[in-house]
Amino acid sequence: MDETAVKAQGIIKTYRSGIFKKRETKALLGIDLEVRKGELFGILGPNGAGKTTFLNIIMGILGRDSGTLLILGEQIARSFPERLKMRMNMSSGNANFPWSLTVRENIIFYGMLYGMGGAKLSKKADELMEFVSLEQYKDRRFDELSTGNKQKLALAKSLINSPELLLLDEPTTGMDPDISAKIRAMIKDINKNRGITVLLTTHYMKEAEELCGRIAFIKGGAIRALGTKEELQTMVNARDMEEAFIELAAEE
Amino acid sequence: MSLQPKNRKIPAVFGRIFALAYRNYVFSIRNISAVMEVLFWPVIGIVSIGMMGSFLKVNEQMLAFLLTGAIMSGVLQVVQLDVAFGFLYDVWSKSLKQTLMSPVSSFEYVIGPWLFSMIKGTAAFVFLSLLSLWWFKFYLPPPFIFILSFGGVMLSGLIVGMSVIFFLVIFGSRIDVVAWMISVLMMLICGIYYPVTMLPSGVAFIAKLIPLTYFLEYFRTGYGFPLNFAHPLIKGYGLSFLYIAVLFFLIETALLRARKTGMIVRLSE
Repeated sequence: MDETAVKAQGIIKTYRSGIFKKRETKALLGIDLEVRKGELFGILGPNGAGKTTFLNIIMGILGRDSGTLLILGEQIARSFPERLKMRMNMSSGNANFPWSLTVRENIIFYGMLYGMGGAKLSKKADELMEFVSLEQYKDRRFDELSTGNKQKLALAKSLINSPELLLLDEPTTGMDPDISAKIRAMIKDINKNRGITVLLTTHYMKEAEELCGRIAFIKGGAIRALGTKEELQTMVNARDMEEAFIELAAEE
Repeated sequence: MSLQPKNRKIPAVFGRIFALAYRNYVFSIRNISAVMEVLFWPVIGIVSIGMMGSFLKVNEQMLAFLLTGAIMSGVLQVVQLDVAFGFLYDVWSKSLKQTLMSPVSSFEYVIGPWLFSMIKGTAAFVFLSLLSLWWFKFYLPPPFIFILSFGGVMLSGLIVGMSVIFFLVIFGSRIDVVAWMISVLMMLICGIYYPVTMLPSGVAFIAKLIPLTYFLEYFRTGYGFPLNFAHPLIKGYGLSFLYIAVLFFLIETALLRARKTGMIVRLSE
């Protein structure tokens, strides 16, 4: 049985803009990465390092220039297989949802997009709202929610299809420390008790240190270091992850 | 998102189409601007045309013709806007990424809002017709002519809405004004109040490539005007289905390109 959840080799991505005057920005310079099933894997790096781009490529939102990608045993070619979309999901920091829909309507709406319906979907929506403690806000419109509750909704929505692989892009960005702690507890629960493979990006050392078994440090579109937090600290002779981050970020 | 409904469970496809139609419904009832699109502007059009017709003392048949033109243009605008809004709501809410990561096909993404737009367009039509009947003694052409023309206007709304989505995916949300421009321009070229034979030859040629021209031409026969084209319904419906198929392909290609260039992410931020 294949124990690999994600296997990326030589992933290169360039953003292109401008219709008449072409502009190019190199985002990923050749990412090699393997995430095992059941793992809670962290991608740590400063802003603009290419973390979100990499997750967007894994999720099929962005196309890659070159490189091979194997997700949950499926080789990803030019188009992203829809049966694979049913097996994975993603939650972004600063996530946005249709403003006019309430919390419950949003969860139901996305559940229907994943082919669910009826009493099963209704039950699942209630269960997820309870899991992320949003029951009392279920009839509140998305644009009336606080940042923390928006993030909880994003997490609930990302679990609607019971994914095997969950991508979390900076899940605690811009949140108060107490809400961040609650979200981190939920992420641990998702990984341990629901058995979901989690690939998480963050630029908070504490988050990576607390949650992730293995961590890849990414900077300038390339992975600069990979290992457990102890291994990363040893690599750069750092006393803790904070120092390791500073050392790795400073390396050319 | 892809245009491959094959190998899908039928109930899931219907569920997705229903979900997307329902989302447009919720947006429509909770946003005042959406209500204005159905009521305010079309009513202004009907009242202006009706008052002008009364002032110029045009005969009953001619006034009915002008009013039906105003009603049809209102319906076209409502239908095409709702198809375009299906995409624009995602862009304005910055939720496009959420939708694109789900297994929704281009077909479902377009057809859901269109189905709701037809209900909304029909409601707009009934309301505007009753208003015209009460105020200006309006009457419709024979049912057969009316239904076939009305169906054509619905398809034209889908074509305009899909064109707007295509342009938005290529050029980004800075050109969202095209959502309001294209249908107005199309009505001008296709002769909503006049036969296209009145237009300069270059513009008249373009008009012949647009299905709405033929639906309006056929519609005018209901008020006793002669046909300027042979087989307007075959041409109108034939061109419509051809353009819809081409637009599905173009939207799919534009989405692939947007995934490559990163436009998808820019539309979600």
